[in-house]
Amino acid sequence: MTELAHDAAWRRLDIRMLLVHPVNELIRFLPLLVGLFFLGSRDSSNPWHYLSVAIPIAIGLMRFATTRFRITGVQIELRRGLFSRNVLTTPLDRVRTVELTAKPIHRILGLERVEIGTGSASRSGEGRVVLDALGADEAKRLRAELLRAGAADSVDAPGTGPHLATQSDTVLLRFDPAWARFAPLTTSGLVIVLAALAASGQFLGNAIPALLHRTDVGHHLRSLPLVVTVPAGLISFLVVISVLAIAGYLLANWGFTLSRDAVGSAFHVRRGALTTRQTSIDPERLRGVEIHEPLGLRLAGAGRLTAIVTGFKKNAQGSTPMVPAAPVGVVIGVGEQVLAENGPLYTGLVGHGPRATRRRYIRAIVPTALVPAVLLLAALGGAPLWVGLVALLLPAAGVLLARDRAARLGHALTPAYVVVRWGSLRGRRDALQRTGIIGWNLRQSWFQRRAGLVSLTATTAAGRQSYEVLDLPEPMAIALAAAAVPSLVDQFLVRPGVRSIS
Amino acid sequence: MAETSGVTLREPANRVSPRAPVAWAAWAVLRFLVVAIAAAVVSTWGGGFTIPTWVRAAYLVLALVYSVAMPAYRYQVHRWETTETAVYTQRGWITRERRIAPMSRVQTVDFDQNLIDRFFGLARVTVTTASAAGPLKIDGLDRDTAETLVQELTRRTEADPGDAT
Repeated sequence: MTELAHDAAWRRLDIRMLLVHPVNELIRFLPLLVGLFFLGSRDSSNPWHYLSVAIPIAIGLMRFATTRFRITGVQIELRRGLFSRNVLTTPLDRVRTVELTAKPIHRILGLERVEIGTGSASRSGEGRVVLDALGADEAKRLRAELLRAGAADSVDAPGTGPHLATQSDTVLLRFDPAWARFAPLTTSGLVIVLAALAASGQFLGNAIPALLHRTDVGHHLRSLPLVVTVPAGLISFLVVISVLAIAGYLLANWGFTLSRDAVGSAFHVRRGALTTRQTSIDPERLRGVEIHEPLGLRLAGAGRLTAIVTGFKKNAQGSTPMVPAAPVGVVIGVGEQVLAENGPLYTGLVGHGPRATRRRYIRAIVPTALVPAVLLLAALGGAPLWVGLVALLLPAAGVLLARDRAARLGHALTPAYVVVRWGSLRGRRDALQRTGIIGWNLRQSWFQRRAGLVSLTATTAAGRQSYEVLDLPEPMAIALAAAAVPSLVDQFLVRPGVRSIS
Repeated sequence: MAETSGVTLREPANRVSPRAPVAWAAWAVLRFLVVAIAAAVVSTWGGGFTIPTWVRAAYLVLALVYSVAMPAYRYQVHRWETTETAVYTQRGWITRERRIAPMSRVQTVDFDQNLIDRFFGLARVTVTTASAAGPLKIDGLDRDTAETLVQELTRRTEADPGDAT
């Protein structure tokens, strides 16, 4: 290890981090402590309780005492461990993202948890540098240092003073609480609905009859006609779900701000009502954006924007939010500024033709038609016929779904991006930088081969690692692959005039 | 059926080793045998039931057809090629996949042999890029061919600086 004279000194975590664990533990044990205090039953209480408070505090102390980090000219080093020494070294030019998070306790204490994403993080959590926690100012300074080092590597960074980075940010997006009206329509909102349905099926199935038996409410309710109680129940259920979704949305996205700093030109995303989260994205690592337009949001004229970034955590599905659920005009406006190119987010797309459309219909109708088919057959054997008839709604919904999926399916090639639009319920429009494509996969199932279709997948080191263009006619797939990444596919092409070998 | 008007993507130039289908067949037979032996053991000592003759016959026919047809068909599909600037593979049999990766984006080149590969003198070369999706695998290469290929790929990718993302 070469330790040069100009190397920076080792730095420690902020001393206030010692309070995080005790405060956490205090809150968790507050009921117990109150009980102890008032009842004075100290002698009878379990000594393990004290241990369970003491151990986390001791761990915190040790972490503080043994964690050190420093930034030398070219790399960041993190030293940990008392008995087992662990030195993690990451070159600064591999730093791709810097994320600051502050839970409510951190915020009270003026702390930030710093997480540095490096390229090697794409496969597992290892190789990520986590500093839990630094003082808020120090964390910001560190972030500026890291991002500047990363940027200076590739961009001609002008003379950068030590405190310039946070000065002149351009704000691209500021949160509008009115957007919370879209929350119940997002996919996560739908997940909440489904979870609530499942839970209520378990819980209410037992609780409600018991409640009705025991109280007067049951009598009153039963005297009401079913036409009133069923819709009333449904509506109150929807109201509860919507309120939950809106609350979740506001908690996660309160104060959402997307800004771009003038020096490193990095993007900063800041959000969160209780736990704040600040993510910084080096534009050199930005490979494109995804517009999420699930059916519900689309019908309401809204969408979400996420960035496709290399070296970002996989558990966040490789994407980082840039605009929460918001009107589609806002989403596209911000997206254009992020991509620095007009067009990819609203340009007209090339459809994939009748065979791709037919495939959408077959794939939607065949599985959904199986259920009523089986039920109707069962009706021949004496099962109630109406069940089978009701189940016919499934293929009907399948037809609608297929129509939407087919109409949306398309792609485009712009000067810098490959644009793909697909899906209905979870629909997206992805714009992937052409220079970010590091390979092509052309996949054909037996059915696709018969229909002359190809699913073309662009592989990339960023985001989801792969972006698929579904069911392209084969010549179109080849043309797209060849045009998007110059001098890669060309060498394997055969012109119609020329006779092929083999 | 692809239109004849446009250009087409030709198949990669090289086939895998002619011993590869034999190795694939050996694998298939081995797997069928394991199930058959397990079933025989259970029905002999597990007691209580016998496997109907028609099931045994159907299984035998399935095993034979699969062990012959799959390797033969796969051998027609599996192909590979490297150029100065790219790696190109084609594999699969029911679902077919062609993969192209630029040489400049290649990160690692793996060489491995399982037991059957070693018996038949075969090897597999796996080329990965910085993307978690889409390693390029070439199964059933002749051992020597595989070794030269690895050397060549390593030499070419070393020539390219940068972190290949």
